[in-house]
Amino acid sequence: MDFSAALPVADVVAFNRPAIDWHAASPELILLGFGALLTLVDVIFLDRAKQYTAALAGIGLLVTMVPILTLANDMSETGPRVMFDGAYVIDEFSLIMKAIFILSGYVVILLSTNYIAEGDYWESEYYGLMLSAILGMVVMASSRDLISIFVAFELLSIPSYMLATWKKRSLESNEAGLKYYLMGVFASAIMLYGMSLLFGASGETILTKVNASLSSDPLTGESLSSSTPVLTLAVIFVIVGFAFKVSAAPFHNWAPDTYSGAPIPVTAFLAVASKIAGFVALVQLVFVGFYARADVFQPLMWILAAASMIIGNLIALRQTDIVRLMAYSGVAQAGFILAPLAVAGDVGDQALASIVSYLAIYAAMNLGAFAVILAAARKTGSTSIESMNGLFSYAPGLAVAMTIFMFALAGIPPLGGWFAKFQIFFAVVEQGGTWAIILGVLLAVNSVIALYYYASVARRIWADQAPDGDLTPIRIPPSLGAALVLTVVATLVFGFLPGAVSQFTDVGLIAGG
Amino acid sequence: MLLNQFLLLAAVLFCLGVYGVITRKNGVMVLMSIEMILNAVNINLVAFGAFNGTPIGSVFALFVIAVAAAEVGIGLAIVLLIYRNKKSIDFSEVDILKG
Amino acid sequence: MNYDNDWFLSVLTFTPLVGALVMMLIPKADEAFHKAIALAVSGGLFLFGTFYLLTEFDFDNSGEMQFNFDTNWISVINSRYIVGIDGMALPLVLLTLLVVPLCVIYSWNHFPEPANPKAMLILILILETGMIGTFVAEDLILFFVFFEVVLLPMFFMIAVWGGPDRRYASLKFFLYTLFGSALMILAFLSLFFLAEDSAGNSLRTFDIQALTEWGGANLTRTAGLLIFGGMFMGFGIKVPMFPFHTWLPDAHTQAPTVGSVILAAVLLKLGTYGFIRIAIPILPQAAVVWAPWIGLLAVIGIIYGALGCLAQTDMKRLIAFSSVSHMGFVMLGIATLTTFGINAAVFGMVAHGLITGILFFVAGSVKDRYHTLEIKRLGGLLIQAPRMGWILGFATMASLGLPGLAGFWGEFPAILAAYNPANGVSETIFRTYMVIAAVGTVLAAGYLLWLLQRTAFGEPSEEFANDPEIVDANKFEYVAWAPMLVLIVVLGIFPNLIFKTSDAAVEKSLHPCLIAEGDDLAALDCPAVFDVEVAGG
Repeated sequence: MDFSAALPVADVVAFNRPAIDWHAASPELILLGFGALLTLVDVIFLDRAKQYTAALAGIGLLVTMVPILTLANDMSETGPRVMFDGAYVIDEFSLIMKAIFILSGYVVILLSTNYIAEGDYWESEYYGLMLSAILGMVVMASSRDLISIFVAFELLSIPSYMLATWKKRSLESNEAGLKYYLMGVFASAIMLYGMSLLFGASGETILTKVNASLSSDPLTGESLSSSTPVLTLAVIFVIVGFAFKVSAAPFHNWAPDTYSGAPIPVTAFLAVASKIAGFVALVQLVFVGFYARADVFQPLMWILAAASMIIGNLIALRQTDIVRLMAYSGVAQAGFILAPLAVAGDVGDQALASIVSYLAIYAAMNLGAFAVILAAARKTGSTSIESMNGLFSYAPGLAVAMTIFMFALAGIPPLGGWFAKFQIFFAVVEQGGTWAIILGVLLAVNSVIALYYYASVARRIWADQAPDGDLTPIRIPPSLGAALVLTVVATLVFGFLPGAVSQFTDVGLIAGG
Repeated sequence: MLLNQFLLLAAVLFCLGVYGVITRKNGVMVLMSIEMILNAVNINLVAFGAFNGTPIGSVFALFVIAVAAAEVGIGLAIVLLIYRNKKSIDFSEVDILKG
Repeated sequence: MNYDNDWFLSVLTFTPLVGALVMMLIPKADEAFHKAIALAVSGGLFLFGTFYLLTEFDFDNSGEMQFNFDTNWISVINSRYIVGIDGMALPLVLLTLLVVPLCVIYSWNHFPEPANPKAMLILILILETGMIGTFVAEDLILFFVFFEVVLLPMFFMIAVWGGPDRRYASLKFFLYTLFGSALMILAFLSLFFLAEDSAGNSLRTFDIQALTEWGGANLTRTAGLLIFGGMFMGFGIKVPMFPFHTWLPDAHTQAPTVGSVILAAVLLKLGTYGFIRIAIPILPQAAVVWAPWIGLLAVIGIIYGALGCLAQTDMKRLIAFSSVSHMGFVMLGIATLTTFGINAAVFGMVAHGLITGILFFVAGSVKDRYHTLEIKRLGGLLIQAPRMGWILGFATMASLGLPGLAGFWGEFPAILAAYNPANGVSETIFRTYMVIAAVGTVLAAGYLLWLLQRTAFGEPSEEFANDPEIVDANKFEYVAWAPMLVLIVVLGIFPNLIFKTSDAAVEKSLHPCLIAEGDDLAALDCPAVFDVEVAGG
């Protein structure tokens, strides 16, 4: 073979400055700007800046929403905006996901404000890292290229590793960070290996082109009816890499340990934003990159979905710590979100819409649940399930909120979660094949199992006595209160007016560029 | 063909790396095993890039190298932190979270 | 048709919810205010709703949906907000409107531990929204949502105000029902995707009326049977039918009095209503195949419930088992798939709601006084609290189906209907069921009289003989019970009040092939599944 052709010689690869759509890139640039500003402020004003960092980070996120809204407003006229030959695309899907990331990031910052200030933590760095992780997610939502997906993935992961270890002196937090780091790095290495094989088979990194070459033989150009072993292996490796990120069984082992060891706001961030980012990547890969290879990814997704639901739910049943319970319930929820991907090859639009709805609703109710856990832990100082006992007797507002979140997660109408679950059922039943129906029945059975532990928590809150009969009320700082109000309202609105919400989440198939 | 030898080397490195991550208890050795997987990836990328006649492979490999450096930086920091708190970098001892 | 009253059903459904929201904003300490609001909302709704329904409802067209309102709800899945009411739903809506204010009055001065009237009244009002909503919903998804809305308040009512075993009972109730409804929603979705008109166009609708018109045509037999099976699980668990009934005795025994009353009077009817509104009209062919099995489970329920009663030592548990038995009669009437049988079932639902409601009320009052419901420790109620004793006697008489009282018209026609089930349903099998069900009525007389004898007659047991707490019914109890007692008598004497209303709607809901006879049947060109099978032939 002739290697000389591959070497980039000046006259072969002349650098053409790619056109940049500044409007389309502005959310990322604003986030980047605020991240840099936070660091600068910290360096210049030192301790005097401490009390403003949280507010500054929050403002940064809210400002970032502005270009997202204007872009959404223009979307009907301009259509998807494509940059860098299709490596970076701003379409309806990516805007919705960016909005979800930024809003959940905002709620996490509200959760963190008092927690971080009152504990013995580094503050400015905390928010700087948080912003860069959110930046990674926002980039992820637009990435339609293996390289940019990889970079976005690392941009959101690396700060998360540090955030999980944020309680420097606590061995639990050290262990949480270590386990998260090892699993994360290992997963990304495996994913990269899969990506290198994909690149080898297709000679491209842009997802649409990868898809095109996956569906036809690279040598003869004929369309392939079945995939070659290398392609199958590549697809499996890449999906497995992201299965770690979304804590799908059997790649979920890190989640409970990391969740229970990390600071609670960080746990909320990992359980919601980081997990959603993993799903966004999976969705883009499946709907743009591997769409032609339904024969490979559908069975894989089926297995991941079924295993996650069953394993997550069964282990969740015997948890005694509420954060670990949320971790395993998160595994089960991941199974639910993966289910439409198992039928995505046949009912693409519906599967995509159901995942987007689920992610939006999941963010609201899960963040809310963590907000209540955080608030309750301010008094009880513990995250054991017993610490929820009798919450109603001394903090009725928190009790009602937690009840709403628990039953929303269980999918009981008229709370938010029901429509999310319903959409999943809708997509799965629409496909209608035997395997899809079996998956549907599994989903049904698992929602009942999940109800058991969610309802048990609710029952503790209402029917049990407070530990030690201590009925002093909980003082909820304003930022935490704001987070609670936001999530409760979102959960209720999603449930009562699913029509209005589904207007937004009903996105067409992702634009490839 | 030359490509196969590169792929074979990468596959061997990948398997060694995975084996190392799973079996090693020493923190630094685990990090090195992960580096091995990443290097397998790099070999793959460069070889495929050369084979397909495009510079994308090399560019991708550069990204991987840069990001891997950052990753290992964080990894070493975490290992150091644990060493400070526990005076040991044996990962099998870092196991207090259960349930 | 009157088009300017389309707001009415929505107002009826959501007023309690608005009341509940208002109450949430008022501090907990202001108990009298909470009670006043709850009573004003539910009572006012009863007066206004009943008046409006009785004057505006077109009884000559009771087969038609009235007060219709139809608007976009979730456009992505083509689910619409459709409400309407016909002769089949009307009695049940009126029953709900009546029972809720009575429950509020009953609990006026004795809220069970841990008191907190605010929370309890809010739950009752949310329940009312869910119950009325289920009866008027004309879209499968809307129906499903309302059907589920009642779960949460009931769960909390049992879990917070229930008896010693409330943790177990509340969760069991919740899990059983949710399991059924999860399968039910799969069935609804399958209908959505599989319903095709004769030209092969997919209907893609959740509109119950549109689906009833479609009537399961072009659906493969297996698909029809499976979908019906999914609905059967959803509705059957709620009824509850044997062998899914085990949640009911636990839930009833542990629930507070008011919870038991609402559960027995209205919640169980959501299941039976689902059968006659959704399952049978939409899938008549599958219904014919399922009918013998439903009938079988119904008669097993009748006998098993009755025998179960004889084995109970707890008064509330006994009444709960009698519910299983009585709902068996209702299901038997439904399983015949005839207008006669289903009319009987509608009547049976209302009658059971009133009678079992009052039985649970009395049981609750007995519990308040004696602090126990163990039958062998009770006795001599007629001596210690004569009026309450007589009310208990009256209710048991009504419950065992004494002619002239409401209970009779629920049971007797259902048994009679089994003599001649719908086309395609085996007469031999159903005549056997008829005989078994008749035996069930004898057993019912047995256990109810036994209950009466052990609790009301005889001398008061020593431990309670001089207990000053045991007094006769107070004025709140009278007010709460009187309307139900009057209705039991009135409906017993004028059963046509309900039969006339429901008949046209029932007939409209049934596929013509099920009920046509002779030449009419031949003219219809029915599928083979409706072939008439003659007894002994």
